[in-house]
Amino acid sequence: MSNLISSMMSAAGALDAYTSVLDVTQNNVANASTPGYAKQTESLEAMPFDPAMGLTGGVLASQVESTRDDYAEQTVQQQTTLLGQAQQDVSSLSSLQSQFDVTGSSGIDNAFNNLFQAFSAWGQTPTSTVARQTVIQRATDVATAFQQSATGLATLAQDTNQQLLQTVSDINQISGQLAAYNQQIMGGDRNDAGLDARIHSTLEQLSQYAGITATKQADGTYSVLLNGQTALVIENRSYGLRAAPAPNDPTAPNPEGPSHQSILSSTGTDVTSTVSGGQLASLLNLANNVLPGYLGDQNQPGSLNTLALKFASHVNDLLTQGYQTDGSDGTSPVGGVALFTYDTNNNTNVAQSLQVSPTVSPDQLAAITLGPPEVSNGVALALSQLSNPTASADQIGGLSYTQYYGNMASNVGNLLNNANNQVQTQQSAVAQAQNLRQQISGVSLDEEATILIQFQRAYEASSKLITVLDQLTQDTINILPSS
Amino acid sequence: VSAAHAAERLVAARSDVKRACDLLVAASPEALDGCQDALQQAVSELIDFRSKRHEIRSDPSARSTACGLRAEVLRAARLLQSLSSFYHGWNKILGSMSAGYTANGDPAPVTRHGRLCCRG
Repeated sequence: MSNLISSMMSAAGALDAYTSVLDVTQNNVANASTPGYAKQTESLEAMPFDPAMGLTGGVLASQVESTRDDYAEQTVQQQTTLLGQAQQDVSSLSSLQSQFDVTGSSGIDNAFNNLFQAFSAWGQTPTSTVARQTVIQRATDVATAFQQSATGLATLAQDTNQQLLQTVSDINQISGQLAAYNQQIMGGDRNDAGLDARIHSTLEQLSQYAGITATKQADGTYSVLLNGQTALVIENRSYGLRAAPAPNDPTAPNPEGPSHQSILSSTGTDVTSTVSGGQLASLLNLANNVLPGYLGDQNQPGSLNTLALKFASHVNDLLTQGYQTDGSDGTSPVGGVALFTYDTNNNTNVAQSLQVSPTVSPDQLAAITLGPPEVSNGVALALSQLSNPTASADQIGGLSYTQYYGNMASNVGNLLNNANNQVQTQQSAVAQAQNLRQQISGVSLDEEATILIQFQRAYEASSKLITVLDQLTQDTINILPSS
Repeated sequence: VSAAHAAERLVAARSDVKRACDLLVAASPEALDGCQDALQQAVSELIDFRSKRHEIRSDPSARSTACGLRAEVLRAARLLQSLSSFYHGWNKILGSMSAGYTANGDPAPVTRHGRLCCRG
């Protein structure tokens, strides 16, 4: 009788175990499209079988286990971080590109061309008041174009700083959310599959903003570090970051230039140099490297200011070395005056402050070079040659002024093009990492070994083929004519 | 053989590399085998194209197609690299789990002597 009851108990235990398995399966099906959810498995544990001792065997459901693999999760997060960076690059560089018009129909390029035409017309009629007035008007247009570009770039810099603040705020908000999830785990929800899914979905969201390292601790909570160094979340506490302008360096070449943006940890330590990847790294790169390349910072004048300074100072030099009158009427020759004024104390403010001198009048423009031989339109001719210069004094690093500006614009175009390609590639890399995560969930050691052997063999062959294709495609592009 | 026929080789090569990229995204060992075939096909198409390239010199769109092809090749290289990094990392984890660490602190190499891999 007791054996019969034992057998019935054993059968009931088995039914309980299979019910548990069905529950897990049902849970997996129901959460198939839940963000961050990882398949759960139910292990069945064999019970001892010894009829003599009244042990009837059977199975017992052991603990439900998640097939989540931390290594695969990290891979997805790393690729997501790179995608976030590339997407932010595209967004920022699109805004930057809109500041440059290379069609020649507006902006600095157009203003340069119009001024060079005015110089040329003045060279043909050096005593014409109309030609001189046109030169002043076109020079004013050039100054205005520089001011507008500098203002546009400065506004973009302000927007970037604002976005940095917002990004840091978002990171802090998500870190707080993760700390709250950790609190739930510490309160006993350690095996809650839904909570686990929410944590991983949130970690993926956070990885778009910055490179993070999330490590599962023995108590089931997740510790999150910014690039493996700066604590963001430990147990039920989050540690907020802060974005702030870096302090000015009085010993820098341009102490009055715009300062860099820095990221500070919760303890006030500057962790800017440790930030890599994600939207945060992209915005820092724009704020601290790309935009200062145009507008300058405490260590460099920036290409826009360099162009404005070289151009304005060279035009002024040519005009002040010339003469308004040659003294042939018995009076002393009258020298020329400078056409442009600009901030001479801060070389990161040249483009913004560039203007035509408010006191200059058409008759003060010096067209004459005394020589010998004296040339009545010598200065005007020298100015008109700035459109197509051959002398190094008329160039910046071997480039004409319009070529230099064209390079500034095309650099942005190239960066944007690369960023667009990077987004496309990175979207594939994220999908690949997600597929890998799906495939390796819960595989056995034997399966792992087999997959690795298969991969190694396929990788070597594909790698060689890609090397061949790389060379072939490059050669093909080189032999084809450009349209 | 017309210039259009030569240009088709470029388009086909690009399509092959794109297919290889899709397989690299799928990332299973079976897909990797298919990737190898697709890349091999692309190499053949390109070699075929190069033998007829004199016929295409006047076609300005060919360069644009070739640039597109190169972008796909670079994407495939990047995807293969990320796949390689993933498996190398995994191999290291497997090494440390199955045989511990070396005296230098590196994961122990995974030995697979005598292992037979059967696929049906």
